Amino acid sequence: MKDLKHLIYFEGLLESANNELVQQAQKDGKLAMGYTCFHIPEPLLNVDNCFSVRLRAPNTGSIDIATYYMSNYTCEYARALTERAIEGGYQFLDAMIGVDACSMMNRAMEHFELLQVNSKPTFFVTHTDMPYKVTDYTLASYIKQMRLRVLDRMTEVYGVDTSDEAIRKAVKEHNEICKIISEIGEMRKADNPVITGYEFHILCLVTYCCPKYLIIDKLKETLEELKTRKPDEKPPFRARVAIVGSEIDDPGLTKLIEGCGALIVSDRFCFGSTPGREVFELSDDEDALTQVCRHYMQAAECARYISDEKVAQRRETSDRLAREYKADGIIYEQMKYCDYWGFERTLVAHVMTEDYGWPVLSVDRLYITQGSGQLRTRVQAFVESLEIKRIHKEEGKN
Amino acid sequence: MANTPKFPNPSFWKYKDHMDWSAQAKNLKEVAGICVDMAKEADWPAFGKHLLQGWKDFGNRAADEFNIVKAMSREEQIDLVLNGEKHLGRLYKAGSMATVRREWRGVRDTAYDFYEWGHNWVMLLTTFSKDLVPALNSMLYYRWMVSYFCCHSFMDKNVIGLRGRALRMHHELLFPVFRYVAENLVFLAKTDAKNGNCIDLNKKLVLIDEMTMGQIMAGFPDLLGIPHQLLPVFLVSELDQLTCVPYIDAVESYGLPSDTCPVPSSECGALVTDSLPHSGCCFISSSMPCDGSTMASSYYSRRFPDVPVFHLCFPVRYLDEETVQCGAEDIKACIKFVEEQTGAQWNWDAYFTAMTRFNKETDYELQKWEVNKTDYPQLIGPCYELYRKWNYEMDGGTDPRILKTCEKVNKLLMEAYQAKDEPWVGKMRHRAIVWSCPAHYYANFSNWAANCWGIDILVEMESLNFTKHLETSDKEEAMRDLARLYERMVMRRHTNGGYQNVVDELWKQCEDWRTDFVIMYQNVACKNMATLQGILDEQGRARNLHMIWIEHDLMDPRTVSRRTMRDKVSNYMQTVMQEQPVDASLVDFEDDVTW
Repeated sequence: MKDLKHLIYFEGLLESANNELVQQAQKDGKLAMGYTCFHIPEPLLNVDNCFSVRLRAPNTGSIDIATYYMSNYTCEYARALTERAIEGGYQFLDAMIGVDACSMMNRAMEHFELLQVNSKPTFFVTHTDMPYKVTDYTLASYIKQMRLRVLDRMTEVYGVDTSDEAIRKAVKEHNEICKIISEIGEMRKADNPVITGYEFHILCLVTYCCPKYLIIDKLKETLEELKTRKPDEKPPFRARVAIVGSEIDDPGLTKLIEGCGALIVSDRFCFGSTPGREVFELSDDEDALTQVCRHYMQAAECARYISDEKVAQRRETSDRLAREYKADGIIYEQMKYCDYWGFERTLVAHVMTEDYGWPVLSVDRLYITQGSGQLRTRVQAFVESLEIKRIHKEEGKN
Repeated sequence: MANTPKFPNPSFWKYKDHMDWSAQAKNLKEVAGICVDMAKEADWPAFGKHLLQGWKDFGNRAADEFNIVKAMSREEQIDLVLNGEKHLGRLYKAGSMATVRREWRGVRDTAYDFYEWGHNWVMLLTTFSKDLVPALNSMLYYRWMVSYFCCHSFMDKNVIGLRGRALRMHHELLFPVFRYVAENLVFLAKTDAKNGNCIDLNKKLVLIDEMTMGQIMAGFPDLLGIPHQLLPVFLVSELDQLTCVPYIDAVESYGLPSDTCPVPSSECGALVTDSLPHSGCCFISSSMPCDGSTMASSYYSRRFPDVPVFHLCFPVRYLDEETVQCGAEDIKACIKFVEEQTGAQWNWDAYFTAMTRFNKETDYELQKWEVNKTDYPQLIGPCYELYRKWNYEMDGGTDPRILKTCEKVNKLLMEAYQAKDEPWVGKMRHRAIVWSCPAHYYANFSNWAANCWGIDILVEMESLNFTKHLETSDKEEAMRDLARLYERMVMRRHTNGGYQNVVDELWKQCEDWRTDFVIMYQNVACKNMATLQGILDEQGRARNLHMIWIEHDLMDPRTVSRRTMRDKVSNYMQTVMQEQPVDASLVDFEDDVTW
């Protein structure tokens, strides 16, 4: 296929957390609100003169200092963020909105505080408590946390307008981005899609890491370009896969998987589009904060949600996405040392095979995976097994 | 206040079992087949040689000991007879599961120790005889049940080196824990669908996650609450550290990464291998204490899809009072769930009675802390630590018999304090605190550290929990207090809710207890603690504390053996402190398979 016009530009934006658009926004007088987790509703960090930056640590090399502080058998994403913070890579942030959803990420945020990694006098780190299940009282608690620990802090420190109107405006802008990404995402359902999983991942990532008002024009242009883009007559892919699991902010991973011949058609992981880039409309019957919080609780696919209905939802979502996007198999992945996804991946890999009949590749991986020969071998083997299955199916064998 | 009912409810023993005898016969046949195969595959000549060598070793050891005693002066011999032996490393034999013999503690204390040994046997036999067939039949289904046969070895090792009132207090504390285990083992066997299959008792049985505190059952005096995995996984691994190894292997073969905490890993492994009883009418799972444990509940639902589950989840940022109501609401929802599943009604009187008792037990606990903070600490060591954990977490005031134990122990405690007793006579050199996930039950570490190096561990992190009196009159506030208590369950109180709870708290406790040593247990799979390693180290050094980091992997001794754990302390004491051991026979010995 012909290269997307802005792909190299988008890739360039992902080379640094403090990319040119982040710098541009700060020059425009905007405040950068760092966060890491879907549990923090993104529109809340985009109210008034704020913009959200979902933190990544691109081009991570040594994480020795973070390893000294956090030991070597903990989440590499958490350690890479801590390392980058110590190096001064997040000096641009005006606030860090932490979630106490998983212990390692929480500790990373605590190190931001303890090691005073940001010298801005008004910089603050806030910690929020996250629910484990969706009920009336957990929603009430979640709303209270977002109000008291996030929005009120932003108002107290920076005088940010966090009113109902401000939240509604942020949701509207959020939905504009989501509409574009969703429309592009739908294109992956085609038998011969006009976009690869890698390209889609890049587009998705820039929407999480850049100020939305500065990226939207190029996204619109890319959407129009895709509408007329001609796919290769004979695509290089030998199988279609859905990815399900924990955080992937490294486009190198999607490149690695697609380099093995597996076209990624569905992205059910943190920093992916499901959930995170679905459009949600607010009604006028209820305050905006309640609706936003409810939506994020209901849409969440995080393995931390313990209740039976959420466990079932995660399995159903994986199955539905794989079917809708015509995947041949599912790759369940987890960041190494992630407890939530470690337990979830292990069990659900069996469940999806035994109960839903999906071929599943179950892997754990490091934060930076591009050079992983071991992972490449496993994906190649999986692609071959999917091919064999398809051949058997075509020949009428089981 | 309601009248205190008998505990456990006597009717629980009387419900009729519904054993499927043909299934039992089939299982027995299978087990017999395995035994025959083992007998066929056994190397009998080698076994005979091993046995013979054992007798020879016994003879040599007896001769050695005779010669040692013979070589002693008259004063030393009298001291040995009256006060017991001083070289405890002689009790261990490489490759042996049991110690070579029981400890000689002097005439009086050895006699008392044997009395307690018999006392425990009588209790065990009496309890098991209440429903003997399913209880014994459990051994044919579950390998962990067999490990309970070494419970007396556990008792012995936990009181090693203790004399006088300290020995008495430790036995007093260990007995109710043993009784609790015995009673619940019988109930589990009785209710297990493939064993006793007692339908009526199953209707009354609410299983709770072993990481969920038992206090919620205080409001249901007509029901039986048992922590499901406690006896088959957690507690038994403290008796025999090798018990859970097959479960860990099973779940890792199933696909679980080996970097996860061995506690939920073992629980899940036991579920994967169908090694937990299929009992109860519902299950209360939990998000506690940490991320790994949260996830174990979906393995439970996969194994037992017919058992309804309630997920009791508490806010993590528990110091934030704004979160308390959410916890209280979840408790209310849990109570409603239990009522719906069992038909029982929450009984406020019963709950308040039990919590009044729990508050008294907390007062007794605080008295122990006050004494231990002085220059004459009295009640230290693993029995006390285990009792505290069990009392706080599992009993929680529900068993009225426990107050008597508290009274008796605290009476002995005050007598010992007034007499300025030493728990390990003449051995105390250093005051220490244990922090992080403690492994001393597996390694018998507190006893060893005291006996070998004179390091007296005055308190451990897991004992230092919620000590505020729980509300016993206002119902709404009682729920909020219960939430506060649960949020501060063992381990969670420190490892969750912000670094202050485990870092700042440690320095505060070091000052309160005037400790010069911190035994920092480093569970290689505990992410909550591992992620603070650098901060703890930096701040500890800045305070001039001796911090000894001891890696371990709880119930998986293959990662770090007990011997390696001890070496860490010995190396520190020899190289940094330049000290000689109190008992050199304990510096290095092999106990890889010893109970």
